[in-house]
Amino acid sequence: MPRSFLTALAGILAALLIGAGVMLAQGYNPAATYAALFEFSLGDVDSLATTLKNAIPLILTGLSASVAFASGPVNLGQPGQLLFGALLATLGGLYLPLPAPLLIPSLLALAMLGGALWAGLAALLRRAFDMSEFIVTLMLNSIADLFTFWAITGPLADPDAFSPMTPAIQPAGWLPEWGEFSSALLVLALAAAGIWFVFQRWTAGYEWRLTGQNALFARLGGCNISRNFVAVMLTTGALAGLAGGLVVMAGPHRFLKGLGANYAWDGVMIAVVANNSLPGTLLYGLFFSALQTGALGMELITAVPSEFIQVLQAVIVLVVVASRGRLSEWLDVWAARRRARVKPLAPAPD
Amino acid sequence: MTVAQRPAAPSRATGLIELRHITKVFPPNTLALDDVSVTFQPGEIHALVGENGAGKSTLMKVLYGLEAATAGEVRLGGRPVRFRGPGDAIARGLGMVHQEILLVDEYTVWENVVLGAEPVAGPLGQLNTTLALRAVQAKIAAFGLDLDPAARAGDLSVAARQKVEILKLLYRDVSVLILDEPTAVLAPQEVPQLFAELRRLRAGGQTILFISHHLDEVLTLCDQVTVLRRGRHVATRAAAGLGKPELARLMVGRDVVFTSRRSPHPPGGVVFSADALTVRAPSAGGRAAGRERLRDVSLSVRAGEIVGVAGVEGNGQFELVGALMGLLPAAAGRVRVNGRDLTHASILERRRHLAFVAQDRGRMGASLAAPIRDNAIMTHHRLNPALTAWRGWLLRPAAVGRFVDELRERYAVTMRAAGAPFRSLSGGNQQKVILGRELLLDRPFILLDQPTRGLDVGSTEYVHDQILQLRARDRAVLLVSADLEELFRLADRIAVMHRGRIVADLPTDETTLAAVGYLMLEGRPAAG
Amino acid sequence: MRIFIGLITGTLASATPILLAALGGAFTYYAGLFNIAMEGMLLVGAFCAVLGAYFFQSWLAGVLCAVLGATALALLFILFAIVLKTDEFVTGIALNLFAVGATTYLLRQIFDVKGSLSDPRLPAIPAVTIPLLHDVPVLGAVVSGQNLMVYAAGLATVISAYLIFGTRFGLRLRAAGHNAASLETSGVSAARVRVWALLACGVLCGLGGAFLSLGYVRLFAENMSAGRGWISLAAIILVNGNPWGLAVIALLFGFSDGLGLLLQSAQIPSQFTGMVPYLATLLALSVYATRRAKARPA
Repeated sequence: MPRSFLTALAGILAALLIGAGVMLAQGYNPAATYAALFEFSLGDVDSLATTLKNAIPLILTGLSASVAFASGPVNLGQPGQLLFGALLATLGGLYLPLPAPLLIPSLLALAMLGGALWAGLAALLRRAFDMSEFIVTLMLNSIADLFTFWAITGPLADPDAFSPMTPAIQPAGWLPEWGEFSSALLVLALAAAGIWFVFQRWTAGYEWRLTGQNALFARLGGCNISRNFVAVMLTTGALAGLAGGLVVMAGPHRFLKGLGANYAWDGVMIAVVANNSLPGTLLYGLFFSALQTGALGMELITAVPSEFIQVLQAVIVLVVVASRGRLSEWLDVWAARRRARVKPLAPAPD
Repeated sequence: MTVAQRPAAPSRATGLIELRHITKVFPPNTLALDDVSVTFQPGEIHALVGENGAGKSTLMKVLYGLEAATAGEVRLGGRPVRFRGPGDAIARGLGMVHQEILLVDEYTVWENVVLGAEPVAGPLGQLNTTLALRAVQAKIAAFGLDLDPAARAGDLSVAARQKVEILKLLYRDVSVLILDEPTAVLAPQEVPQLFAELRRLRAGGQTILFISHHLDEVLTLCDQVTVLRRGRHVATRAAAGLGKPELARLMVGRDVVFTSRRSPHPPGGVVFSADALTVRAPSAGGRAAGRERLRDVSLSVRAGEIVGVAGVEGNGQFELVGALMGLLPAAAGRVRVNGRDLTHASILERRRHLAFVAQDRGRMGASLAAPIRDNAIMTHHRLNPALTAWRGWLLRPAAVGRFVDELRERYAVTMRAAGAPFRSLSGGNQQKVILGRELLLDRPFILLDQPTRGLDVGSTEYVHDQILQLRARDRAVLLVSADLEELFRLADRIAVMHRGRIVADLPTDETTLAAVGYLMLEGRPAAG
Repeated sequence: MRIFIGLITGTLASATPILLAALGGAFTYYAGLFNIAMEGMLLVGAFCAVLGAYFFQSWLAGVLCAVLGATALALLFILFAIVLKTDEFVTGIALNLFAVGATTYLLRQIFDVKGSLSDPRLPAIPAVTIPLLHDVPVLGAVVSGQNLMVYAAGLATVISAYLIFGTRFGLRLRAAGHNAASLETSGVSAARVRVWALLACGVLCGLGGAFLSLGYVRLFAENMSAGRGWISLAAIILVNGNPWGLAVIALLFGFSDGLGLLLQSAQIPSQFTGMVPYLATLLALSVYATRRAKARPA
């Protein structure tokens, strides 16, 4: 654990240094830029609240990808699942005549259902035709993008709006604000705790983890691989769908054009850089949210375009992942050299 | 540039080959070679012998540039050399034929042979097919090999594929051939042919380094013998005048006893039975059924009995284990444990009746990256009610912790923490965890597939003791092993597999090593 | 007849970038790499094409810049996946993200625009009129007068097929994919072969990207590769990388795209016609999977 923490830290530092180099090359002041980034993401309660709120879809799609990758299925469909979650939550919010205590849970459930159904379609195609979920979920992303766009320009369009969007959902479906902080954070905390519980306590969750690490071993141990596959796809779809529902319910309270575009690959990115670990996903989700949230303030103060953060994120992913493998290898070789001098003993198989 | 015009590489390996103080450590903590020094003379057939894990292959890989030595140096003709890969070694006239044959199955023989040294024409490097084919044919003729250069490598027999590997090196004009257990994959009648070819190569001035653990082969073929044991150099002797018992003693480090360790124990009723079990290979065309990989196999094991399955690897053992475990569908036949038909049962259902130790720890027996704890409770998580609550839905961490402690104590596992990754355990301790996990299931029938492969002597002894205890506790044990010595020590009966069939089922006390060996190779008893 | 010729021209135009990217991916596919970075390479190619064309006021400079840019991304792939041995899938994902981020950032930084850049002064890749053939009725309108890059894609198919199946490089390339260990013991570094494959992939994706922004249309828009790299990956899986097969598949996708445009004029919402290529990919994959399942029963 300390080693994985150290290599991650080293990777982030290296990536920030590379980012600083890029900024210097373009005549910006890296110190001022990073200071502004910090200032506008974590500097005061307001920014902190925004960072936390922005982290919600990042962390949930990140959890979706982490849980999927750690359990085997290559679910790359978070963007599409998010959109369907948002769409179903919006539909419910527009048409379900329920009071807030019932409407909010119903919309959350609808959001999860939407994501799960869209992921379930990929699982179904895998079961029926043995089609790789990797390509299928990607294609379903594009289809979901077009479908939801049709929905908000056609049948669900707000006739009074100038750009494609639905009307606002009933206020009973709005997630309340607690001071500066959104109550969506509570939903996120519950979802994260749920995932922890599934992986650490639930018998099937144990099977998911072990299947992700060595499917043949798990199969020989009596795990039901194909049933688990479907369960993982539905669960991770539900997580991404929940992200979509929360974006609608906590934010603009309607389905806006380009709703999911900001989170398109972020979930997969966070899972990859966090090596599919739960604490890693939470931390990197917060970290990337801080970068994205601070970016706007950074642009105001330092003239560094906010898009720079997208580059910085990709550099962080590459450098952290590469250094994780490399540093561990070097440490192993170094330890082996040291031991060779002291003479241990365990003969190797030929 | 064509092959014929290739200039002779500078300072080919015609002189002495010296390995000096070679040490090799595999991270994190395996010492494969420990200060090994050997010298090979040009023009000799030099054997490297030793038990599994002695370091023979690793030493040759260091010489060949496939593995970098942690310490020590390689000298050719008195000059230190540093090969950064096989390419360097080949350029200096060294070639290696690996234990596993590394041909591109999809390519023809000639394509495989010229790969890496192709005759070409034109600016884009167009393959000169005619020239290549002619050059390969010339080499085949020059060394009297029986090969069709246009055949697809994947369609050839193992012996022919091995010949292609040798031809590949001859085509590159190497003068030193390293052969890693070449006879292990051959049928017995093919061995003399290989030896004749090797002698012919020696007569043509080639130096041959020959890795083996078959004493007879070494003594009939080789000039010099170097013995390695547990990564250390033990001796280098002339083969002439060296006796088999002495060589065996050098290899094992003690007098080899083939004594049985079984005490008399009358077996009970039949626990496990397979009747006319047949497994087919997946068919290639789509309609026709595939070739039978397991044919009409009938076996039974009684309570308190150990039945060994012997055979050269690849004669159906994999399919037998796969069919018993439910990985491969049985095309015909029945599998029963205590009268219950498991032929088409799910793996979980099978696991209610049998325990299983797989031959490949990292692939089938465990997840190396997962914590020891997670590896220890596999299968128990579904079938051991003590570990779960809420009708099996939830795991009970405290109970899991107690279970791992019990396993550690009962099976004497040395480990730091239950949460440490499985790969941090030594091979012996890994196997103890796996064995312990399966034995704690407490099933009437235990299927063991090469349970001591790759283990050191101490761990092997431990596993053997456990197997004998199972017998004493009236369990039925089916032991698949490539190690005849192990089978003769442990098994009450030995079933011999040959080409997917059981060709003999003999009480161990009424047969001999030589007889079983013959059955394994020939599929029928020795005449007379 | 106008519709027919329009459909064919549309088919060729939408097939071209997919074919070029797929041919690039074919090299890495044969080399045994799990390369999913075509999407990012196309995007970087498209951006750099506009960049070069804008500053040098020459479409040729644009194409060269596109090739250089996409190859630079390939070099990053080489650095991480081959030199540093980072997981290929992760490298591909990160590079695709990097491509989106870098092009968006540079679009803002260099041209000071958000979203998309279109400029009437951007020189386009010209169409090529084939003398004589051009005057043949119908055939002339189809075979002649297409964009230069359409012919380049055709030529690239021929050259790729020749390189992969007729040369020393191809023999080593396919060996790297079939059995890298065998290639290594033959004294050829599989890593080096893979480096060349990735460079080829960069060049071809660069050409495809240049067509996107200087041939198909004359503008650069954020994320304008729009999944074409992924479709090319699906095409590679469908025909096991064979260049001739890729040409057929790319044409089929191009046709479905063109058909989508036709349907649009039949009052079907453009969002649904836009789904046609993705649905076609799914359909093709299911046909492929069914065929494979028949060939290999459990």
